[in-house]
Amino acid sequence: MDDRSRILIIDDEEVILDSCTQILDGSGHHVRTAPDGMTGLKLVEEYQPDLVFIDLKMPGLPGIEVLEEINESDPTIVTVVITGFATVGSAVEAMKKGAYDFLPKPFAPEEFRLITRRSLERRKLILETIALRREKELLREQFASIVSHELKAPLSAVQQNLFAFEFEMSKMLDDDKKDKFQRIKTRIDDMLKLINSWLRVISVDINKLRENFTEIPISVPVTKALENIEQLAARKNVEIVTSIGKTSGSINGDGVSLSEAFVNILGNAIKYSHDGSKVVVKVENGGDEVLVSIKDNGIGISPEDLPHVFEGFYRGRNSQSVAAGHGIGLAVSRQIVEAHDGSITVESELGTGTTFIIHLPKLITNQSSTD
Amino acid sequence: MTKRLLIIDDDPDFVSGIKSILDSAGYEVEVAHDPKEGLKALQTHQYDLLLLDIMMGRGAEGVMIARKLRKDPKLREMPVLIITGMRQQIAFLFPGEPIHPRFVEVDELVEKPIEPDLLLEKVSALIQAAEERRAVPS
Repeated sequence: MDDRSRILIIDDEEVILDSCTQILDGSGHHVRTAPDGMTGLKLVEEYQPDLVFIDLKMPGLPGIEVLEEINESDPTIVTVVITGFATVGSAVEAMKKGAYDFLPKPFAPEEFRLITRRSLERRKLILETIALRREKELLREQFASIVSHELKAPLSAVQQNLFAFEFEMSKMLDDDKKDKFQRIKTRIDDMLKLINSWLRVISVDINKLRENFTEIPISVPVTKALENIEQLAARKNVEIVTSIGKTSGSINGDGVSLSEAFVNILGNAIKYSHDGSKVVVKVENGGDEVLVSIKDNGIGISPEDLPHVFEGFYRGRNSQSVAAGHGIGLAVSRQIVEAHDGSITVESELGTGTTFIIHLPKLITNQSSTD
Repeated sequence: MTKRLLIIDDDPDFVSGIKSILDSAGYEVEVAHDPKEGLKALQTHQYDLLLLDIMMGRGAEGVMIARKLRKDPKLREMPVLIITGMRQQIAFLFPGEPIHPRFVEVDELVEKPIEPDLLLEKVSALIQAAEERRAVPS
């Protein structure tokens, strides 16, 4: 196929078809014409034009319907309507239905050339955008496998040998050396966790979780998450204050992933807390919802960053302040909570602290059947 | 009696990191870096436990081995400890289940890298459980 642009003109007036063809003659474009809507639509299919001019007022199939059909079958085709009664109304209606522009009759050759050039540029942009989007998807998938194989596996091997090395040397290590081992292990572990979060965001269909939902008391994943972050809290000298209501209720969900969501949010709360401060974890009954709130008195998030805290790492990030550190973990948490038909809200004030509230639909058990 | 273990994993660097821990704990450890080689070793020798990697070769070849073991009347008794770098993915395929129900019945799954204490604890627990099962035939 040659790379000349293909233009289709649909108009019942032969004069228009001829003059338009003539104007474009020598422009290097490929031009076809159709005298009515039906013929035009057939040609759209065969000819796969880049740009279609459609007369709005034609006998037979009305121009506006031709426009709609083209738009439905291939929205990447750029459409321009030719309108004999240059009323704003008909042009606006056509634009609403997907036309890129309109050309009022009568028009000068220069006007027609200009609108043709602009429309073809538009088409080029649309195709480029699609190609880029596809490329991005592909990169994302490839990135997942590259990350897992090229980064994670070697790092695991490094950590494993370090474990072995320390294990074998254990009797010969004084506190100072043990401390060094611990530092190395902790940093490698952080890297592995980060890689795991990336992998989670990129490669896992969190909605598959639904297939394995069971009834669980909300206190179970919360308690599990609290156990998980105990060490981190101790290391950062942050006290975790909990209040888990006995009647906070059960939910329909997956305990493992929910506790991971809580761990991510709790981890952030601790990470951004000041030495010696408190993080308050509350589980409450909120009518038809179960509410888990995690409140810290840490550095807080600025109002500009607040709307972006749940965006994954692959999103463009123009501010590199506090929100950058929240990144992936929160994106994963939100995906998990949303897979449970829940939501996460966040309130924050710079210098005062942040509160995350996880809302989950409460499981209504109208029969307390035990059999 | 010294317990014999087989590790099937295609990453020699990782294997060296678990083998030396198991060596120093007094196990006799053999290694196969290739799934085919590993399967052959399983069919010709007797082991008290298999440490099996999942993602090898062209994909999840570890799963193939686990399935073959389950079908084999002799080998299905042997405990299998799955060591995988892909917990994130696997855990999501079977949420809430650290053990893949479709593998051999006695398996357990741990994530790479694995802390020495945890490794030794899992290995000895799985071997002991298998011995108890043999002592009391159901």
